[in-house]
Amino acid sequence: MRWGRFGCAVAAAALSIGCMGPALAQPAQVNMWSNWPDEPAKKDWVSARVKEFEAANPQCSVKLSFIPKADIYTQAKSAVRTGQAPDIFYLEPDQPEFLAGGFLEPLDSYIDLSGLEDWAKPAWTSKGKVYGLPVEAYTVELYYNKDLVKKVGVDVPANFQLTQAQFADLVKKGVAAGITPISQGVGDRPFPGGLLLYEALLRKLGPDDYGKLLDGTLSYKDPRVIEVMDWVKGLVDAGAYPKSFSTLKLGESHFYFYNTPGALTFPDPSWFTGRAFAPPESGGMPANFPLGIMQFPAMDGGKCPECKTLAVAGSFVMYSKSKNKDCAGALLKSMATRDNGTKWMEQVSLQTGLASDPSKIKSAHADYFAELNARNKGVKYFFGTPLFHYRAKCAETYTQVMNNAFPAGLISVQDAADKMNAACFKG
Amino acid sequence: MTSTTALPDDIKSPGSVADPRRTSWPVLVVFLVPALAIYVGLTAYPAFRTIYDSFFTIEGLDATFVGLDNYRALMSDETFWVAVRNTFVWSFIAPILDVSTGLLLALALYAGVPFARFLRVAWFTPVLLSYVVVAILWMWIYNYDWGILNELLRVVGLGALAQSWLGDPNLALGALIVTHAWKWAGFNMVVCLAAIHSLPREVLEAADLDNCGWGAKLRHVIVPMLRPTLLNLYILAFIGKMKIFDLVWIMTGGGPLWATETVSTYVYKRAFNWNTFDLGYPSAIATVWFGVVCAAVIILNRVLASKDRLEY
Repeated sequence: MRWGRFGCAVAAAALSIGCMGPALAQPAQVNMWSNWPDEPAKKDWVSARVKEFEAANPQCSVKLSFIPKADIYTQAKSAVRTGQAPDIFYLEPDQPEFLAGGFLEPLDSYIDLSGLEDWAKPAWTSKGKVYGLPVEAYTVELYYNKDLVKKVGVDVPANFQLTQAQFADLVKKGVAAGITPISQGVGDRPFPGGLLLYEALLRKLGPDDYGKLLDGTLSYKDPRVIEVMDWVKGLVDAGAYPKSFSTLKLGESHFYFYNTPGALTFPDPSWFTGRAFAPPESGGMPANFPLGIMQFPAMDGGKCPECKTLAVAGSFVMYSKSKNKDCAGALLKSMATRDNGTKWMEQVSLQTGLASDPSKIKSAHADYFAELNARNKGVKYFFGTPLFHYRAKCAETYTQVMNNAFPAGLISVQDAADKMNAACFKG
Repeated sequence: MTSTTALPDDIKSPGSVADPRRTSWPVLVVFLVPALAIYVGLTAYPAFRTIYDSFFTIEGLDATFVGLDNYRALMSDETFWVAVRNTFVWSFIAPILDVSTGLLLALALYAGVPFARFLRVAWFTPVLLSYVVVAILWMWIYNYDWGILNELLRVVGLGALAQSWLGDPNLALGALIVTHAWKWAGFNMVVCLAAIHSLPREVLEAADLDNCGWGAKLRHVIVPMLRPTLLNLYILAFIGKMKIFDLVWIMTGGGPLWATETVSTYVYKRAFNWNTFDLGYPSAIATVWFGVVCAAVIILNRVLASKDRLEY
């Protein structure tokens, strides 16, 4: 009898647990790693999209972590091999090894591809499938301090593009006035030191030959390349860059430009806004800063003075071995909308690879946006920065030589060309 | 007749479980298995796996056997040889700076320099700091525009000597070596101080009685008697520097122009910054370097070890 009662109790308990099962079911948790821990506008945009998704999809929850980009790459490289990578993580198209290794899930069946700009899709397209959600896009711009440039006696022409001689003159006048002509530092980034040189090369060579230079079929000994490098070397030797160029970090170079000590120009991708539009007390640009955007200088005899680099940067990809593909896919789908693209431009003041509707943008930085749009009107885009095209030893040589040593004045034009050819030239 | 001095049968055989000096196998297993498991899992297996991987090219989840190709490629890899040169310079020369600084600080404390108790703590504090903190601190010190080093030079009228200490290929490695020596001087000081205090008092007193001055006593008495300690410190410093990574990675990333590239930073770059998942080539570098470190330590021990044992 006692055993009978005990058996009933156990059975009842088991049944009750069984009945409670569905009530206790946890929503599937999507693990997501995003970059931009130190860029409030982008962080807010991502957080808002995740919150909206969770509210609309109670069966899914998202564990969102903001991690610096370099750490994401390092951790993801280990994690994808062991099956422990997050369901969704931040990636840029210059990390093709994840796609080549089969670690990314094609998104075609999860998202509405019409929510992406046509020009942005190729950055993530392989064998006809799209593998990334191109949230962040940018153009390479030349920002300048209107007041300081005027102060040293240079008038920016109506087309906002100085000639090569006028730009050299600007540098010389800046140095003579004790104002650093170009705020730039490579202390924590592998690319900024090459911005001026490669934008100049693009304008000199035109997109076809510039593409050849970046895919290793045009030599750095080409006379046109040497001519541009000689010009940049002249600027370097004249004192164009800060003395602390090699150790100045990207965030510090922002502060250097619009705060202390101040500089005439600041070549930077248009994600400039991520830091510049942070509150001034957080290191952002002062409210009344006389910011201007000019075109990079036109090279003498240049094939394409109207050319400019356009690229896709911060994107979100899905891990091919994710155990929550449905929820992860639904989250990416919810992000890839025209409305969200518009919100990104509005909040971040930066281009996006998501479809967007500029007419609906209401931003506190409308003037900035108008100027950015004006500088991008009628331009011919070349897709991808050097590091988007360069790989392995060639990328490392670019980082050490063209990003650092050459603009720091540590190496001659011939030596720089030799080193780049040795690492990159396939001819 | 049985000898009264004969051992009982149960302790005659040293391997017997009844030997009171030996415990039973189950107990041995209980004590050994955790340590062995940790050693095998976290040291032996990764080491052997690294050697094994060095014979493969690993792309994604596919491994292709390539024999000695990675090693052949390594022999013609310019950056690898630059990294080897830098690491050797750092490993052989910097320990001299480390150990001599530590010895000088220890002697200062032993001689009763004013504020000795405070200085002992102050000089030891950098040892307690992480490499990240030390690196950031010294990046500030070396900053061209507002770093204290350049500011001091400007204040004393030597502004022309102000440099981009980490940005000049001729200075960057030296700047890192100084930073590393600053961090570890306190450790060497403590070890040297303990060794000095353990020196036989009668020998030092005998030297005093013979009117031996401080310099002569240091040269002919203290340093020779400290030789084993100094040698051990040198070898410890040497091994640490052969593996140096953190400080370089944070302060220069191996630049400018590979001037501070070390073998460890190069292995990391090849493993994680090379747009590839291939661990074969970095494994080959790590394997070669493991052999070099082992060989160097053995050679150093042979060359530097004193054949005359000091007895006191």
